[in-house]
Amino acid sequence: MMTDAPAADARPTPTPEFSDAAIASMDDVYRFARSLTRDPSDAEDVVQDTYLRAFRSWHTFQPGTDIRRWLFTIARNVFLRSRERGQREVTLDEDQSAVVDAAQAHESWVRGGLDPILDRTDLGPAITDALAQLPESFRSVVVLVDLEDQPYEAAADVLGIPVGTVRSRLFRGRKLLQVSLAKHARDAGLLPASPTGSPA
Amino acid sequence: MHQHDSHPHGDRPTQECADCDAALESLFDFLDGELEGSLETQLKAHVERCKPCFERADFERRFLAAVQAARAEERCPKSLRERVMNTLRAEGLGV
Repeated sequence: MMTDAPAADARPTPTPEFSDAAIASMDDVYRFARSLTRDPSDAEDVVQDTYLRAFRSWHTFQPGTDIRRWLFTIARNVFLRSRERGQREVTLDEDQSAVVDAAQAHESWVRGGLDPILDRTDLGPAITDALAQLPESFRSVVVLVDLEDQPYEAAADVLGIPVGTVRSRLFRGRKLLQVSLAKHARDAGLLPASPTGSPA
Repeated sequence: MHQHDSHPHGDRPTQECADCDAALESLFDFLDGELEGSLETQLKAHVERCKPCFERADFERRFLAAVQAARAEERCPKSLRERVMNTLRAEGLGV
């Protein structure tokens, strides 16, 4: 009689589930990898390694939990390991106080410039460019929360930082993004010349 | 229906109102759905009756929607997808 007792290798790689759930998230993992590395080639390496590790450790995934959060965490670890190997050294520039302060000081200029263009359907490339210019520490939080719709707690877990740090980086990252987009609007002739002392 | 005219300061700068200060401090938490219970209810009520905060919330909401919409701009390259799939097939992926 057959028993329900699991074999020693109780959870062999369930390939159909992996295909359905993990492969379908590759766009999301790629976007997150780009946010970590800035470099398309490095991002591709991160994605490749992430999926290999995910496949090999599929048995550790807890069914019913958010698979994207699991993949993002693996991608973050892959990225950190690649940095440890000295392939690239990214200087985190979290001190963007001057730019954020300027953004707040010229809140009306930034809002006035962005407000008319926020509903444009062709704003996507400008936003993508502006995102790419953010320092990595801000960019990864903005990508996880704003693009990948992760809750603060999930973003904190993926990045290994406190929720309060997610909150502050998100605020600053969004303000930097707004300044960058306002400059784009100005350069595109959609916004009047900046007031004296506004973000350069 | 929003009632923006009942704010004690009308359109004046929000810094003059403690309720506005609190609202602006938690605005992103509110828009991100990270506030709970009474805090969310209080902030929602304030934003609905305060014109400056309503306008600010509306601007930030539209900004976040524009960022979210940019998600479609960046997709995994087809060549990378194929490379990943080939690697996984070599590992035993049955697709």
